[in-house]
Amino acid sequence: MATPSPSDHLESKSIELDQSAIVAFASRFDPQPYHLDADAADQSIFGGLCASGWHIAALATRLVIETLVDNGLPFLEMTAISRLKWSRPIFVNEHISVRVTLGSSDEESPIANTRCQTLEIEVCNGNGAVVATMTANAAIAIDAALAAST
Amino acid sequence: MTDLYLRDRWFEDLPVGEFHVFGSHTFSELEIVEFAETFDPRPESTDPDQARLNHRQGLIASPWLVTAMWMRKMVDYMEIYAQGVNDGRRNGAGVAISDLQWLEPVRPGHTLTYTYEIIAKPDRVIREKWGLIRSRNEAFNQYGNKVMQFEIDILAERRPQESDDPQQQ
Repeated sequence: MATPSPSDHLESKSIELDQSAIVAFASRFDPQPYHLDADAADQSIFGGLCASGWHIAALATRLVIETLVDNGLPFLEMTAISRLKWSRPIFVNEHISVRVTLGSSDEESPIANTRCQTLEIEVCNGNGAVVATMTANAAIAIDAALAAST
Repeated sequence: MTDLYLRDRWFEDLPVGEFHVFGSHTFSELEIVEFAETFDPRPESTDPDQARLNHRQGLIASPWLVTAMWMRKMVDYMEIYAQGVNDGRRNGAGVAISDLQWLEPVRPGHTLTYTYEIIAKPDRVIREKWGLIRSRNEAFNQYGNKVMQFEIDILAERRPQESDDPQQQ
């Protein structure tokens, strides 16, 4: 498999967020009315029951990792997010997917035997509209044994 | 009667430099594994035996579990602190974060203490109703080492103008 090069755009599969998943995450980590209760959410700034932004960030990161690994990059850990912006909510039964662009690899990685890969990530809904953008640093194994363990 | 000034504030009343300790959380092996099974299904966070062989030599929490717990601690803290009375930050959604770093692994049994400090009030009005509160947030483990940090912009409700308040009309 050819290893992707900078400026390549990698596309993930998509995941559907149903009401029980949205409420389950919010109950544990973000118990605010607009993530828990449909009536309260209708009156809120979002105008409907929607997923916690942290839920979106965590799921998007899962999709990013799967996409990197599927493209032959021995991903080890996410070490930093220099910027994350939420631009629109994800409502019940919407899908999310990610589009990953490989950026520079100049920064030093905080983990031994890895290199730092910058990632520009667009999180999209089922219509392809961008709902969040992230700039992330991923530690990619450069040591063969470490790579084999990923 | 005590004046509950701190519990009834708008964006305009929230000072740069205000500091809170949201509280602590001890991470169990079960919650680390359960979170990872849904959000980060890789052996270092889902399989204690396999994790012993990895580069961290043991199970570590998914980074987003460490960050999501910050949100939970903030919601719980604000619920007590603001006691259902308006505090401009209540019900304000997060808009963007920056400089999020996970600095050290978090393992089963580790206890993190989450802190929050207002560092800026960017000069923006959103949908005529909201201002932005920028805070610096950190998590320290039981050794006193910082394991996570980030800045976040959260909406805070601006004091209504008298003409906007139906009860004043």
